Amino acid sequence: MAASMRLLFRRVIRLSHRNINVTAAGVSRGSGCCWGPSTCRCFSDAAGDSSTHFGFETVPETEKAKRVYKVFENVAQKYDVMNDAMSLGIHRVWKDMLLHVMHPQPGVQLLDVAGGTGDIAFRFLEYVRSQQERQKRRASRSMQTPSWQDISNNYSTEDVVESQESRAVVCDINKEMLKVGKQKADSLGVSAGLSWVVGDAEELPFDDDQFDIYTIAFGIRNVTHIDQALQEALRVLKPGGRFMCLEFSKVTNPVLARLYDAYSFQMIPVLGEVIAGDWKSYQYLVESIRKFPDQEEFKGMIEDAGFYCVQYYNLTGGVVALHSGFKL
Amino acid sequence: MAALLRGLRAGRALRGLCSVVAAPPAANPQGSSLRRSFHCAALRLQDESKSDKPPSSSSTTYHEHYQAHSAEQDAAAASQDDSTSDPAAEEASRPNTSYQDQSGEQGEEYETEEQLQARILIAALEFVPLHGWSMEAIAAGAETLGLSSASTGMFYNGAGDLVLHFISQCNSQLTEILAEQHKQVQLGQAEQKRTADFLRDAVETRLRMHIPYIESWPQAMSILLLPHNIPNSLKHLSSLVDDIWFYAGDRSTDMNWYTKRAALTGIYNTTELVMVQDSSPDFQDTWNFLDNRIQDVVNMSTTAKQVQSTGEAVVQGLVGAAVTLKNLTGLNQKR
Repeated sequence: MAASMRLLFRRVIRLSHRNINVTAAGVSRGSGCCWGPSTCRCFSDAAGDSSTHFGFETVPETEKAKRVYKVFENVAQKYDVMNDAMSLGIHRVWKDMLLHVMHPQPGVQLLDVAGGTGDIAFRFLEYVRSQQERQKRRASRSMQTPSWQDISNNYSTEDVVESQESRAVVCDINKEMLKVGKQKADSLGVSAGLSWVVGDAEELPFDDDQFDIYTIAFGIRNVTHIDQALQEALRVLKPGGRFMCLEFSKVTNPVLARLYDAYSFQMIPVLGEVIAGDWKSYQYLVESIRKFPDQEEFKGMIEDAGFYCVQYYNLTGGVVALHSGFKL
Repeated sequence: MAALLRGLRAGRALRGLCSVVAAPPAANPQGSSLRRSFHCAALRLQDESKSDKPPSSSSTTYHEHYQAHSAEQDAAAASQDDSTSDPAAEEASRPNTSYQDQSGEQGEEYETEEQLQARILIAALEFVPLHGWSMEAIAAGAETLGLSSASTGMFYNGAGDLVLHFISQCNSQLTEILAEQHKQVQLGQAEQKRTADFLRDAVETRLRMHIPYIESWPQAMSILLLPHNIPNSLKHLSSLVDDIWFYAGDRSTDMNWYTKRAALTGIYNTTELVMVQDSSPDFQDTWNFLDNRIQDVVNMSTTAKQVQSTGEAVVQGLVGAAVTLKNLTGLNQKR
């Protein structure tokens, strides 16, 4: 039994090594991936602009944003289905953990950047509404026999409560993703307190000191200049506001890491091809995860941007990390 | 790692300093590198209180840095009456902010983070009668300081943080009062109280600090009994009892040290429980209960001594009776 398991493991690892070698070789040859003109451009990249990574490829910085836009334009329609298939539904747990750690008080304003299909925003509105209901229930329980004074006070405070309703703004650079999100909102019947804005994380179309909470879930690794995105986050947050980032990160356990690598490079592009008909986008996704800095490094970047009390939580053994910082 | 962070902060502060020196201080807020508004709350007060201090940033004297640092400490301590921010003062205080960064002391910033947390908790205490010991109270407190309610995420223990902070605040207040009284006695301005009276007064003073929050105190007690809070609450209780006995004059080094503190812990806890359900005017029932309990302890110690001496006397009597019997029956004679 043990021998056969060991054989299976070895075969899986050999396959994954081969796969990684193939992709690495593909990149170095510059021909296998059919990215076509852009790879030629990257060889003759003497125009003076610096280059960055696009998955395991090196591209000029100006290119990356366009390429990422195309990737998400392609996957937008099947984005949620693919999320469920790839993570076996665990992504819902990750997003629920984000809300649980956030523990938003009623009346806060949320900005969800790279929010795309609106998962975080929907969860946020639901959480805040259930909190408000709980508070109202508690208040009514303690006020079973209100005096005339209390009743008249209630009449005057009813309008004040309206202005403190919590609001969620979903911002994304990609119009297709926002369209899918709006459709989801309509089908769920959620529309109060929700806005959809097109914007670039490196240059947000909002004033300073606007939001209580800034979240970016599985989006920051697609940003070309991460430190600029962090600076923008600092700018639009109110004093005392919280920055929260959910992102794939480095798995610490070596055994789990091997399994995770094998799963990522073997299964995910295949699933992408079968379900969404797009191998390359999901290849990019898996490669971009490997290129993203690890937990400690990212924590350092957040601190450099000017956030305090920066902390991270590892979810699912380090597959996903939840970073949190405060603007104080 | 720490050195790298310090270097980065110093580098950014230098850039910030240059841009500030270039622009007039009254200009609109500049780039994000100056947004150390975290220092602003403390420094705002500093500017309001020291209006004669010039907001120039170009001088880099060590003396001015010390002034800024000590003023910030004062400001943080006297932060109860923090008023709404004044943009001009905020702008003028920014040069000092980048100044303190230039000194590159990471220790300073961490100290101020805890001070900020302490300030939020102190502000939150006002809202406890309304919201109970909960995150809502902390959120309301943060809002009065001008911070978003999302900053309550800093308190990972939530309501437990608030209760523990309140307890330690009360304990330090009590210690100050006892030290003051001790000083009075040393100076001869007051008379040394009897142990029983001293204990009674100390416990009463400490329990009176709960009176503003007595409605929600049961909730606080239950929070303190949560498993992850028990180590901290026990620590606070034991240090409280130790302080009271120390100022009562206890210098014992034997088993008495433990028995005395155990007795006082029992008295304090039971009196607290009585106080929570007491409805008499000015908690008179509670203070009567306290008197009786202290009297019990005093009685018990005298009773213990009496029992011991009685025991010895009884043993002596028995030995004497046995010797007399032996004499009478003639067993004692040596023939």
